[in-house]
Amino acid sequence: MSATSPPPSPADGRRMELQVPRRSRWEEFWRLFRRNRLAVGGMIIFILFFGVATAGLFLTAGTQPIFDPALVRLQEKLRPPLARPHVDSLGAQEVPPLGVYLLGTDELGRDVFARMLQGAWVSLTVGFVAVGIAVFIGIFMGGMAGYFGQEFIRIGHLLWAVAVIAGAALLFSGIVAVGLLVGAGGVAGLVHNLTPKRISGRTQRSWGGAVLAQNAMRVDTLIMRFVDIMLCFPSFFLILTVVALLPPSIYNIMIVIGLTSWMGAARFVRAEFLALREQDFVAAARALGLGNFRIIFRHMMPNAIAPVLVSATIGIATAILTEAGLSFLGFGVPPPHATWGNILSDGRQFIFDAPWLTFIPGLAILIVVLAFNLFGDGLRDVLNPKLRERHA
Amino acid sequence: MPIRLTIKMTTRRVLILAPLLLTLILLQSYFWVPTYEQQTRGNPDRLEKYITASIGDASLLNPILSADSASSEIENMVFEGLIDRDKDLRFRGRLATSWKIYEEAFFYVNGVAHVPGQGVLDPAGVAQVIRDAQKAAPPASALKSTLENIVGIQVIPSRQFRTTREGTPAPANRPKKAITLRGQAPARIKLVLHQIDPDLFANLTLLLGRDYFTSFPAQNYLQADGPLGSGQLDGWAREILPAVEHNPVIEFNLRPNVRFHDGHILDAGDVKFTYEAIIAPQNLSPRIADYEPVKAVQVLDPLTVRVVYKRLYSPGFGTWAMGILPEHLLNSEALRREAIRAGKEPANFTMRQSAFNRHPIGCGPFVFREWKSDEYIALDRFEDYWEGPPNYKAFIYRIIPDLLTQEMEFYAGTLDAYGQPPGGVPPYQTRRLENDPRFQSFSGTSFGYSYIGYNMRREPFDDPRVRRALGMAIDVDKIIKYVLYGQGKRISGPFPLQTDYYDRRIAPLPCDPEGALRLLAEAGWKRDAQGWLTKDGRRLQFTLITNSGNDIRKAILAVAQDAWKQIGIDVRTDLLEWSVFIQERVDKHDFDAVILGWSMGIDPDLYQIWHSSQTGPNQLNFVAFQDQEADRLIVAIRQEYNHQRQVDLCHELQKIIAAAQPYTFLFVREWTAVLDRRIVLREVDAAGKGVYKKITPTPTGNIMYDFNKWIKLSEVPNFAVD
Amino acid sequence: MIAFIARSSVQKIVTLFFVSIVSFLIIHLAPGQPSQVDPLNPKFTPEMVARYRQAFHLDQPLYTQYLYFYRDLFTGKTVSWKDNRSVLAKIWERFLKSLPLFIVGTILTWTISFPIGIRSAIARGSAFDQTTTFCAYLLISIPGFFFAYILIIFVVQTFQVPVIGMQTFGLNQSSVTAAVMDRIWHLLLPSVLGATGGIAVLSRYVRSQMLEVESQDYVRTARAKGLPAEQVHYRHALRNALLPFVTMFGLILPGLIGGSVIIESIFSWPGIGRMAYEAILARDYPVILTVNFVSAVLVLGGTFVSDVLYLLVDPRIRL
Repeated sequence: MSATSPPPSPADGRRMELQVPRRSRWEEFWRLFRRNRLAVGGMIIFILFFGVATAGLFLTAGTQPIFDPALVRLQEKLRPPLARPHVDSLGAQEVPPLGVYLLGTDELGRDVFARMLQGAWVSLTVGFVAVGIAVFIGIFMGGMAGYFGQEFIRIGHLLWAVAVIAGAALLFSGIVAVGLLVGAGGVAGLVHNLTPKRISGRTQRSWGGAVLAQNAMRVDTLIMRFVDIMLCFPSFFLILTVVALLPPSIYNIMIVIGLTSWMGAARFVRAEFLALREQDFVAAARALGLGNFRIIFRHMMPNAIAPVLVSATIGIATAILTEAGLSFLGFGVPPPHATWGNILSDGRQFIFDAPWLTFIPGLAILIVVLAFNLFGDGLRDVLNPKLRERHA
Repeated sequence: MPIRLTIKMTTRRVLILAPLLLTLILLQSYFWVPTYEQQTRGNPDRLEKYITASIGDASLLNPILSADSASSEIENMVFEGLIDRDKDLRFRGRLATSWKIYEEAFFYVNGVAHVPGQGVLDPAGVAQVIRDAQKAAPPASALKSTLENIVGIQVIPSRQFRTTREGTPAPANRPKKAITLRGQAPARIKLVLHQIDPDLFANLTLLLGRDYFTSFPAQNYLQADGPLGSGQLDGWAREILPAVEHNPVIEFNLRPNVRFHDGHILDAGDVKFTYEAIIAPQNLSPRIADYEPVKAVQVLDPLTVRVVYKRLYSPGFGTWAMGILPEHLLNSEALRREAIRAGKEPANFTMRQSAFNRHPIGCGPFVFREWKSDEYIALDRFEDYWEGPPNYKAFIYRIIPDLLTQEMEFYAGTLDAYGQPPGGVPPYQTRRLENDPRFQSFSGTSFGYSYIGYNMRREPFDDPRVRRALGMAIDVDKIIKYVLYGQGKRISGPFPLQTDYYDRRIAPLPCDPEGALRLLAEAGWKRDAQGWLTKDGRRLQFTLITNSGNDIRKAILAVAQDAWKQIGIDVRTDLLEWSVFIQERVDKHDFDAVILGWSMGIDPDLYQIWHSSQTGPNQLNFVAFQDQEADRLIVAIRQEYNHQRQVDLCHELQKIIAAAQPYTFLFVREWTAVLDRRIVLREVDAAGKGVYKKITPTPTGNIMYDFNKWIKLSEVPNFAVD
Repeated sequence: MIAFIARSSVQKIVTLFFVSIVSFLIIHLAPGQPSQVDPLNPKFTPEMVARYRQAFHLDQPLYTQYLYFYRDLFTGKTVSWKDNRSVLAKIWERFLKSLPLFIVGTILTWTISFPIGIRSAIARGSAFDQTTTFCAYLLISIPGFFFAYILIIFVVQTFQVPVIGMQTFGLNQSSVTAAVMDRIWHLLLPSVLGATGGIAVLSRYVRSQMLEVESQDYVRTARAKGLPAEQVHYRHALRNALLPFVTMFGLILPGLIGGSVIIESIFSWPGIGRMAYEAILARDYPVILTVNFVSAVLVLGGTFVSDVLYLLVDPRIRL
């Protein structure tokens, strides 16, 4: 059963039961996935990493954490991994909970293990939120382009949208009153124009002024041109520019990475939707009078999500690497948040004097990113029906 | 079919062979690259080049236009100033062979004041009073020395004048109207002083009456042709007809026959031109503030130049260490010709646009050869240098943005130095590199200190006890020991530690958390049940910020937060990107406490950072330190030309600042620089034979002082006796 | 064909226009000032800061600044705020420096990826396939700068030879060959590092293309005819699998600017990525904007070339 085939009607289903042993989608998936040992290994590390990151969240957060990643013990700086603390020079709270510095200490005597634990969660969050933003925008844009793509945008819509943008621009330039007025006018116009259309579908086309109702371009064209514009920026350079110009904050980094990497997802979703739109089960759903949104989310999305999931898995890996690269250039997640990227880039200057500060985060990033990539690759193999045939 | 098959087989072979071949070609290049040993032995050329590296590239190689450290490092090699500092930081002549500093002082004859025992005097009378007093032994000794210092008295007759000022716009947004002022300035007395005397007029009042100068009715001599705001005329009158005026004068005698790199001979006109280029507004020179107090630069003869200042301003002398530009290449005629050659509008073409800034020509020891942006800047030695050419034939300044790769290049032998001051080797590497037998290392104290500054506009920092307590809670010695690896010294005031302006008798704050708590208790802050310090139900809570990208500040941030937490202060920390940090927080005074550093010059002028007039937005006294006595001392220091008296004033000022604790002064860094062991000093002794010596830094920690005598040898030298 | 080219170019110009607006807004709406206007430098009085702002048109409304900037750009008059040099000249100079790195990197990527990708597709599931898959993902998973440092330290400590920069400094090479070889040596590490990601991605892509083609009917037919396996792979399959790669030639061009910031910083290679990075640090707006604009032109030009190539190569597509 391929991921793209429609859900079988009851009659069909009974006949299929006779032919093949009944397997749920998941069992089928697992059976195929299991064959790819690298991917399984990746998945295990993936799950382990989740566990560590979640544990890291609980063990290092709060006012009295079990592992305190911010605790400075200057007299214990640059101790190698597995070194025993000099207990006599430390306060009762300063002794590491495990009795040894499992992964050593850094240049301020902070416990690298605690920092790696905290960093695991932060790095994972950066990856997830960034990719979450990208996937959300990607699905929305791709869905719009794929499903409503043949609808037309009228000149009226464009005018109102221009008003909204002009209002925002005016607001930024400091002309608040006029800006607010124009912007609000634009929003009102847009809402007014879009609402009746959504209720009564395409029959309202002749409504309104002749010029304003003129068709300007397709939704699909608009969105895909926008994708083109976004693709024109070299992505790492764009991220670097924006992050460097904005005040450094973990949210900015997540948002910027997210906002600059949704184009792939949008293209995937659009392509899937274009194919799915023409399939019988969608036509059937439409004939039953289901709402657009029910069709999109209930019927089409589950069938289109597979490639997005794959690209999201790999996207998280990329986001973690991007964050490390930004840290290297000095624009990473700012303290107090430790991420593996900034532990690595802070540690690199000690590479001769304290090599563990470079190698521990470096290898950790390597292993986790590798796991994500292998897992994503395995997923792609399994979810791609063309390649799957030969497995069976 | 077989042929076809072979073709297909070829495809396969090509696919496999191509990458192998490519890899081989690339890898074999290794055998052509010289190792460290091969570079020094058997490469005599290499020994005559000095290669150093910097993190950042230069911006403009024009001493009057750039203010960044990379540019000035090159400019110091290519350009030469009139003076510089010797080993003991005293001034020594470079392009100037000698100089004379004296003063011309002026005051208007007061037509309404009564001179004690003489009544109202005419100009000649006033001059006569002073002359008479010079002959008779005056009672007060201060007056005596003042009078002895006067070597000339001259009466300047009354004159008519006319000038215009911008009127204040009565209704907003109306264009400002020019107002013409005219008047008859009264006669003036000009005194020529042997030495500069800031107390001249104060002491003359002993002779001429207490309010002889203050009662001068300047506004009576001035008329305006338009409507004025209240008090406006008085203000202008004080500005145009100041009752008294000090005009310090510096006369430089220039070294004869000094040549620019293009062979042109340097003369006084070049000095005057350099000054004019700095103050020309279209050049946007960052040094304009240094030269604002200059009234005029006059060429007396081709080798004598005279600088007259508007007022007492002792930091002015040190500014003449600035590189002198060649007039013949940059004057308006030369710029106009360059603009036409480049096809640009001559009217908009300033020195900033000139190609000179990438091909500088000065009269320093090295001649500019070429500059590849972000790669290197190469200089050759100047064979006609007035002090004799340097030993090195070439100076190459590489730009390597990453410290770790700089270190690797140093190991590989393509850099001769690692860790140039002021930054030096990162502190944690010092011990390893100092003990490495392959290198020689030097250390010294840097000109710059780190501090925590408190925003005194805000509670609780308006209370000096709180500021002192905050300072006492921090163990600075611990910071120096562990963050700087011992590479720092504690300080208690804002003057450079290696100069005598710094008063070593004032001890830094002790680390005393208990004492800090006592002080805070005095100020009303008590510990509550959870251990937080509170006052009137409010917790002692603030945010400590600094800029990102500086590891040491980041470490201080963590240490300070921790130390303050220990005594019950709820401190948050924030790291901000530099421009945001400065523009959004520091400039707008939107901060509680900041960790920052100042890099200082040698001159003890503290006006911009500590004077109470400098507390506005965008100004440097952002902590709002205000103290009348300190203000007086700051102004007195910049008016004092006598070194010893200046030192005394500085010590007094340091005491006041140390008592008020507007900053918690943390430390000055010590730098360590590492040089290739084969680099030595080569001097020529009396017999004309080369003598090799070990390089030693000056007492004030400048290793580059004797750079022109450095040279690299092919073997590590043995010095019998140091 | 002509219609396609005309339509496509109009479309691309419109896109470029919007790109120019977006990048301009991003940079000018961000907080902060160019570092030439550094108010904390004690040498800068507030009046001077104001004068700088005026000289850079920073005191004008945004749309005026936009018009000024693009007018200057198209007349070739844009100058960097940092050193007053023409931005286009700067970019060209750096482009030439980046070019060798880019060329060697690209050649490495393409020559190495193809044999590996083809081989692992043919021997699907074999030990070779598994190893290369693993290695490919290993290469894209290493943080670039971490890998670079390890390599540099290894080479310098083991062989005692310089690797940073474009050549060994301070030597007058005895012969032209030695000088050329020295430059090649300095190219080696950065281009290998720059190529790792490309090799990993491209070899995976080659593999999946080959697999896709190998499962098609005509390949099965060829095999069923009893043709030797070699011939089936290298004649029937490879030729068709190659099709999409022809179009990739157009798309590698933009890589010249984007991905090299970190490698160029580490190796202090005076290339275009590093210039852009330094410009960002100094907030040298004209340089940032021009680099952005040029790279957008490269991207659009690249897609255009690849579209045209596709048209020429693939007989199935007719417009």
